[in-house]
Amino acid sequence: MGSIHLKNIFKSFGPTRVLKNVSLEINDGEFTALVGPSGCGKSTLLRILAGLEDLDNGTVSIDGRDVSGVRASDRNLSMVFQSYALYPHLTVRENIAVPLRMRQLNPSQRLPLIGSMITPATAKKEITDKINTATDMLDIGHLLDRKPGQLSGGQRQRVALGRALVRDPEAFLLDEPLSNLDAKLRVQTRAEITQLHRQLDATFVYVTHDQVEAMTMADRIAVMMDGEILQYDTPENIYSKPASIHVAEFIGSPKINIFPVELISPDQGTRFQIGVRPEYLKQKNGKFRLKAVISHLENLGPEIQVQFTLPGIDTLFHTRLDPKSAGSLTIGSTTQFGFDEVDCHLFNDRGVRLSPHKTRQFFKTLNDST
Amino acid sequence: MTAALNHQRQTLSAWIMLSPALILMMVILILPILIAFGLSFTDYGLGVKSVDFVGLENYERIFTRSTFKKMFTATVLYVIVVVPFSVGLGLGAALLIQSVRRGREFYKTIYFLPVMASLLAMAIVWEFMLHPTIGVLNETLQGGCDSAIIHGLLTGSWFGADPLASWYGDQCANGFPLWLGDRDYALWTICFIGIWQSFGFNMVLYLAGLTSVPRDLYHAAEMDGASSAWERFRLITWPMLGPTTVFVVTITVIRSFQVFDTVEAIFPDSGGPGKTAYVMMFAIYEKGIKQNLLGTGAAITVIFLMFVIVVTLIQRWFIDRKTHYT
Repeated sequence: MGSIHLKNIFKSFGPTRVLKNVSLEINDGEFTALVGPSGCGKSTLLRILAGLEDLDNGTVSIDGRDVSGVRASDRNLSMVFQSYALYPHLTVRENIAVPLRMRQLNPSQRLPLIGSMITPATAKKEITDKINTATDMLDIGHLLDRKPGQLSGGQRQRVALGRALVRDPEAFLLDEPLSNLDAKLRVQTRAEITQLHRQLDATFVYVTHDQVEAMTMADRIAVMMDGEILQYDTPENIYSKPASIHVAEFIGSPKINIFPVELISPDQGTRFQIGVRPEYLKQKNGKFRLKAVISHLENLGPEIQVQFTLPGIDTLFHTRLDPKSAGSLTIGSTTQFGFDEVDCHLFNDRGVRLSPHKTRQFFKTLNDST
Repeated sequence: MTAALNHQRQTLSAWIMLSPALILMMVILILPILIAFGLSFTDYGLGVKSVDFVGLENYERIFTRSTFKKMFTATVLYVIVVVPFSVGLGLGAALLIQSVRRGREFYKTIYFLPVMASLLAMAIVWEFMLHPTIGVLNETLQGGCDSAIIHGLLTGSWFGADPLASWYGDQCANGFPLWLGDRDYALWTICFIGIWQSFGFNMVLYLAGLTSVPRDLYHAAEMDGASSAWERFRLITWPMLGPTTVFVVTITVIRSFQVFDTVEAIFPDSGGPGKTAYVMMFAIYEKGIKQNLLGTGAAITVIFLMFVIVVTLIQRWFIDRKTHYT
């Protein structure tokens, strides 16, 4: 098992700078999610870690060993690809056996026909045992003799997982493994991968664009945007203490509400932005009240998602209400939404989160002036 | 009642719509084959007044006469030699071109040139190059004999071997082959020209096949520990090129069976010294057209057709199924 340390990674594709000074430390046994919108460089970072992509500058260390110049096959990492990348001409059993055969048998033992004859029975048994352990874990024992073309998307995904965890690598790298599955299967597999992580107690690096996957699965999340890591923290902290407006807006659905405010002191005006998560906006309640015009309602059953506008501001804001209390709302009607100091995230005009001290100061000034 | 009528009407219109294709197929494909099949049992010739049914006489002649024995030998040897080399070189060239960063178009063009060039014109060039006395090949070889270094290396005399024991040393002493004029070399020289001419086409097919191999598979193989080029080739490239290979081998076999223009250009009268390059297509042409023995020509055509059908069936029923994975 291994810890991973990425230090000052730079990468460009031609004139496009994909990664700009990215550093990341992942502890042994940790489940880290790299999350960000498409094109943010998260997959490139994972491929650099895997060794499938060269880096322009920086170092990659696994378990304290600098592997920057080491080729992918010698880094002892396992990877699950978005496309699964199963070998279509091999059966499930053979697919899962490939990493074992490549690493445990010598070239002559891998020859067709003759290879099987000169491979010692113990080596064969070891491979069979490991395949069985992996397939039992993933419940794909009944598929062993089929080819990938005869499997459903979910089954292929499991085989790809099986091929990754059949051996004992330093870390598992997963590149959007769930994005080709339907919604229901995705939720189910999400839980299973988390469970596998607990069971194996191995280092997992998981790339996704889906913030829900990142939030639900990871021990720590690295939020990436434009080739930089904006914040690297636990899911709780990412959600409750976003380092910037970008992070706050990316994590959480519906999106966080950002209200621009200007604090006018005697000599000058200072612009701030107040972020309030939809679930903390209360109807006709809270210290700070806003007059809202309802523009859209979505009844999801357990809750109603409300979109509203504020007079003079074009953007749409969101909140979630209990169906009981929202019963009277109709599209076009006017109501009040309010929030309290403790539920606010305060950002300066550049989008950076203010320190708790500065936040307190802000509200003190605000309270004094009203 | 109406349903049955409807059904009948649909069947009728289906037949009407099918008929143009069916008629065309009959007239330009099936009918000529049937006619050739019929003619192969007669002694028909163009302009001949009386046509007699001769039964299996034509076939009997083909399978007993020594000329036809030579025909089968030349054709089969040609196919056996040309197919593996042409396919192998095509694959090798495609893999090499795939691996270079620059100059892909340049190499593609160079290797594809022989395919585009008129083989008749090229055959004349080859004839000149292979000319026993004034040809550039024998002159070059002869030049090597006079250079101590080349002679020493090629004959192995530098390493203590008897120079006369090696092919090169022997030829240096006794004169180089006549190539196209030599019984022992004529067919192999024709094979060489055939390979030179056809592997560029196979290369293009393999290049097309290579583009359809997903990059992710190579990455997966790398992660799985397949680090050498050979392992990657065995694990991914070769199996993924399976369908391409089946296709390439099939058309190369068929095209090799059809070899005609090289032989006709170089040996227009004879079919090679001692008929050593008397291939099937040339025999059909000689018997059917030149000697106006259409019956015999038709019989060879039917046998040729059998070969092609067998090759196609093998492709369709045995190999195609094993190489398509989805």
